[in-house]
Amino acid sequence: MKGIKFLFVIAILAMALAPVGAQDVSTVTMWFAEGSTLDCWGPIMLEFNDIDPSVQLEIVPQADTWNVTRTAVAGGGGPDIVRTPGPSYAYELAEAGLIAPMDAFADEMGWGDFFFDWALDLGLVNGQLYSLADELETLLLYYNTDVFEANGWTPPDTMEELNALGEEAAAAGYVVFSHGNASWRGTNEWFVGEYMTQLAGPHKVYQALTGQLPWTDESMVEAVEQLDAHMQAGWYGGGIDLYFTNEGTTRRAMLADGTAAMNIEGSWAIRGLEEYHGESGQGWDWVPVPSHDGTDYFTIGMGNTSSINANSPHPEAAAQFLNWYFSPATQGKMLTSCRKGPAPVAISEDVMGDLDPRVARVYAELSDASANDRYGYTTWTFWSPSGFNYIIEEIERVWVGDITVMDYLEGLDTLMAGELEAGNLPPIPSR
Amino acid sequence: MAVLTRKKKPTSVFEKLSDETWRRKFLRNVIIPWIFISPLLIIHIFVVAIPAVQGVYMSLTDWTGIGMNVNFVGLDNYHRLFFEDETFGKSLGNNVIWMAFFLTVPFILALFCAAMLAQVKRGGMLYRSILFIPYVLASVVTTTIWKNLLNPRQGIGAALDNMLGLEDVFGVAFLGRPESALISIAFIDNWHFWGFLMILFLAAMQSIPPVLYDAAKIDGANRWQEFRHVTLPGIRPVMLFMYMMVAIWSFLAFDYIFLLTQGGPAGASEVIATQLYKNAFFRFQAGYGAAQGVVISIFAGFIIMIFVTLRRRGWDI
Repeated sequence: MKGIKFLFVIAILAMALAPVGAQDVSTVTMWFAEGSTLDCWGPIMLEFNDIDPSVQLEIVPQADTWNVTRTAVAGGGGPDIVRTPGPSYAYELAEAGLIAPMDAFADEMGWGDFFFDWALDLGLVNGQLYSLADELETLLLYYNTDVFEANGWTPPDTMEELNALGEEAAAAGYVVFSHGNASWRGTNEWFVGEYMTQLAGPHKVYQALTGQLPWTDESMVEAVEQLDAHMQAGWYGGGIDLYFTNEGTTRRAMLADGTAAMNIEGSWAIRGLEEYHGESGQGWDWVPVPSHDGTDYFTIGMGNTSSINANSPHPEAAAQFLNWYFSPATQGKMLTSCRKGPAPVAISEDVMGDLDPRVARVYAELSDASANDRYGYTTWTFWSPSGFNYIIEEIERVWVGDITVMDYLEGLDTLMAGELEAGNLPPIPSR
Repeated sequence: MAVLTRKKKPTSVFEKLSDETWRRKFLRNVIIPWIFISPLLIIHIFVVAIPAVQGVYMSLTDWTGIGMNVNFVGLDNYHRLFFEDETFGKSLGNNVIWMAFFLTVPFILALFCAAMLAQVKRGGMLYRSILFIPYVLASVVTTTIWKNLLNPRQGIGAALDNMLGLEDVFGVAFLGRPESALISIAFIDNWHFWGFLMILFLAAMQSIPPVLYDAAKIDGANRWQEFRHVTLPGIRPVMLFMYMMVAIWSFLAFDYIFLLTQGGPAGASEVIATQLYKNAFFRFQAGYGAAQGVVISIFAGFIIMIFVTLRRRGWDI
């Protein structure tokens, strides 16, 4: 009888203690798009689980991640770490009360020490920090070094030089810019934002974004007219109709095999360039996108943001993961291993030293541009969703001759004035 | 002598409830059918009816599609749709072109092939299967195949140009030109769709009693006359039903367009459903998108009303 009592007591104790053990582990969930990115990022992110056994990261692969995430989050569920495609999306979630403010964690863990000042400002909504920007990116002018060497060309610094070079390249039978938007229609917006920044200048774009300058300003008109002239000349993809049907793979292949001379694309393209040029054996390099006066302006973009779900049962654990993930050491490792665009944090020069010099130069120049007032704005980071969707959709009407550049900019001006008034624009760091 | 008395029929509710026969009849004819149908009805209420009512309500708000910050804006979204949004008229026009295409091309093709196949005695199943295969392919697969085939640099046009030593003659960017994009997508969707229509027509043709054809032959009818006076009237209910369905589906056209051009280039292949999707999921204007959804439903309802009216007037639909 005593034996049975003893076993009973042991069983009760075991039952009582078991949940305590289970509660000790906080599992932080994160949804991530399936594919090669996760294959490379995943193992590095899971190294977090070795640090503290009581906080474990679980990565759940999802197709169509953003749409699945926002539906789940709106329904009160979703992952602990909420990733969005950019600050404007995080802004909408914050306004709806679906993600939690992180100011207390930022103070406690000293995020301000390693994030660039303007980067934390990007996540502010009504004065509170709701998201951390990730994947710093900028647009660059890539070129095929074999093609340039064979023709004795040098990369252009100014738009005038680019125009002269483009005419020469087109006359020699090259496609000037290997491009196409069949895989991603958003490609259109890269050029609109870039031409505005390089030709009108980032200060004017800033003024327009903050409502101090109309989008119909002469400098903006000239910038979009220049883009339209390049498009009409068939420089992008070999012709407007071809631009609309060229896939992303065609874009890469054309530059790698020397069919095209140049390509204006984001820093995210480097991984693909390494792959395609590795196969073709032809070289590549980059220069800043030429500006009106030769100043090296770099537009700043963010590939995505991370926030903490307002309904997360473990906000502290989620913050602990974010603190580790956004640390310069982790970001440096992901940059060197996966060519991931780093978060806007100060990565040590040792890490940069291990990189391909062409890659290291991107971030060094971007950092320099940031510090010296030479940074500009990518549309997908600093415009509202309505704003950049207008840019994407309506610019095609300019290219096919449905509307004039002035019509286009007047429409943009009206829309952005409304967005500004409604408070729909993401925070624009002051300069 | 026995006197036959008729049992008095219960009239009041109380009399009915206390009458055993009436109770059994009521249980058998009313309660049990409702019990059988209730699982489906409950699912329908939750999955269709409530979201539909919510959709109508959301169309009267400025809902972004995220969270529950919803402001009632009355008919503002509808006003914007009909009086301010220039692209809506163009999209509606594209829907009408789409409908005109699908009410003619696949019907002619399907009728012709079904009439031919109805005559085939041996190997008919093989032909039917071959023609039906595109219908069972997922739209993502079909669009990927055709995107590659129509690619002006690597598709069949480019291959023909290479073979014949020509430059950009056949390698045309059909999906990249505003004047050809919509019709090219309709062609691709039709490639997938018409086999289904053909099978329906063939099944309907095979249900026509052979004696009618024999009688027509005795009357001296030729093939065309047989087709016109026997086959067409015989399959008319199926044809008209499919006309109605295709007309409704034309307003729901989305997947092929979105997968191939996303409504481009320059809005040339934009239809209401692609606009709706962009408004709801790209621009955070879910309330406005809901208004477009309601308008599509009204168009569909209007088409159904036409067919119901025709049926009431004695049409065999």
